Amino acid sequence: MKRLGPWLAAPLLVGLAHADYRLETVVEGLEHPWSLAFLPDGGMLVTERPGRLRLVDTDGELREAPVAGVPEVFAEAQAGLFEVMLAPDFADSGLLYLSYAYGDLSANNTCLGRARFNGEGLSAGEVLFCASPAKRGASHYGGRMALLPDETLVLTLGDGFDYREQAQNAGNHLGSLVRLTLDGRVPDDNPFLGDGSARPELYSIGHRNVQGIVYDDERDELLINEHGPRGGDELNRIQPGANYGWPLTSHGVDYTGARITPFRELPAFTPPLLHWTPSIAPSGMALYRGDAFPDWQGDLFVSALAGQQVRRLIREEGRVVEQQALFEELGARIRDVRVGPDGYLYLLTDHAEGALVRVVPEE
Amino acid sequence: MMARWKTPLLGFVLALLVTTLSGSLIQTQFNLAAIAALGAEISLTTRLGTSAQDLLGFAPLYAAMVAVALAVALPLATLGWRWLPLPPGLLYPLAAALGLWLAFTIADALAPMPTLIAATRSLSGTLAMLGGAALGGLVYACCRAGRTS
Repeated sequence: MKRLGPWLAAPLLVGLAHADYRLETVVEGLEHPWSLAFLPDGGMLVTERPGRLRLVDTDGELREAPVAGVPEVFAEAQAGLFEVMLAPDFADSGLLYLSYAYGDLSANNTCLGRARFNGEGLSAGEVLFCASPAKRGASHYGGRMALLPDETLVLTLGDGFDYREQAQNAGNHLGSLVRLTLDGRVPDDNPFLGDGSARPELYSIGHRNVQGIVYDDERDELLINEHGPRGGDELNRIQPGANYGWPLTSHGVDYTGARITPFRELPAFTPPLLHWTPSIAPSGMALYRGDAFPDWQGDLFVSALAGQQVRRLIREEGRVVEQQALFEELGARIRDVRVGPDGYLYLLTDHAEGALVRVVPEE
Repeated sequence: MMARWKTPLLGFVLALLVTTLSGSLIQTQFNLAAIAALGAEISLTTRLGTSAQDLLGFAPLYAAMVAVALAVALPLATLGWRWLPLPPGLLYPLAAALGLWLAFTIADALAPMPTLIAATRSLSGTLAMLGGAALGGLVYACCRAGRTS
């Protein structure tokens, strides 16, 4: 049993029985793996932040040569290759999406690309979207993606760190979520479309660095997690067109200890469902739907870097009522958590010699 | 008679205090100005409260940075006076400001984020913070002048 401290704003406690699980290392030697996607044939694609896409075949073996045809990325500090996501019709089309940083240290941001995967390499690559403006530094890119049921996708972005006030400016993409059609166009019902001064791709604004995103089809909810500064990591329920307040509101302070804002919440902004103070540095996020762990049905799983754990969030009517820290025994920064088609959880550890770890029931 | 090292040490401590406290207050005002520019109303109570919170939350870390900067800059200025015989009231403020600017530059190069102290993202914020260091350098010069007069 794991008991967490009393510092989190949301109800935590946690006196849950530990689920009986076993951790299995599937693949080692991945350099800062960032994201994975499950292929229909049972294989997996894994991104490595320096700019490589790796194939784990159906036998669980890591193909030595990276997948060819990945776009050139700007790899520095937090920048690099981020997420890989299969198109809904991947089995027929072979199309997949990649998010990545473009540019150089003085001018860069997040891009979304699409390409065709034939089992060996990528072809017919095209850039669908690039966030603007290009900014200086190598921090805060977002880079996560989720598919919505209306055949659109949402891409998360970051505020570029030094540009935090721009998260309130709908005239650019910094610190926002954008929604696009599957071929990169602006959907005609995007919430900022009628505002001539706003970027039409915007879906929500006022974010710092969105690192996890999940669409809950049963509740018809889009959920994201985002890094706060020192404290103030957030879980947010996304409403189209809403403003989540950064940097006008935050439960955290700057890394130097300075107040970024005197306001934790303000009426004009949508408050988080939950905040983590002190920070756990949330990274990926998954919604559990599967047969392997019946007790976890419908729970959210949030991987954490600084926290070196996966936080299980138990919800009632969409409200987080309890939390449980899992997989701390790995002693690793965890970059991503996914639910495989087999119902097992899959974790990526964020190290120069990172690993893909599978969580299976004990028996 | 006060020992030879006591006056410079007292001057250093006072310079550290002045630079740190002024810098903390200055950066708070810059951060609040950025928030106010986004449309938030900052009352006097909020301003005073946030300034006080930063004196507790920000100033200790900033003091460490300032201490290192001044510990290098002020003795170097004393040594360098032989080749650059500026009046102490100009020499030490200049040295303190340059030392702090170097500390900002090194911190930004080493820290994972582009700019460690948000107020120094702009030229005006950086100059204001360096102004605080110059004030500290002036206090140091006054202390030394008091000893030698």
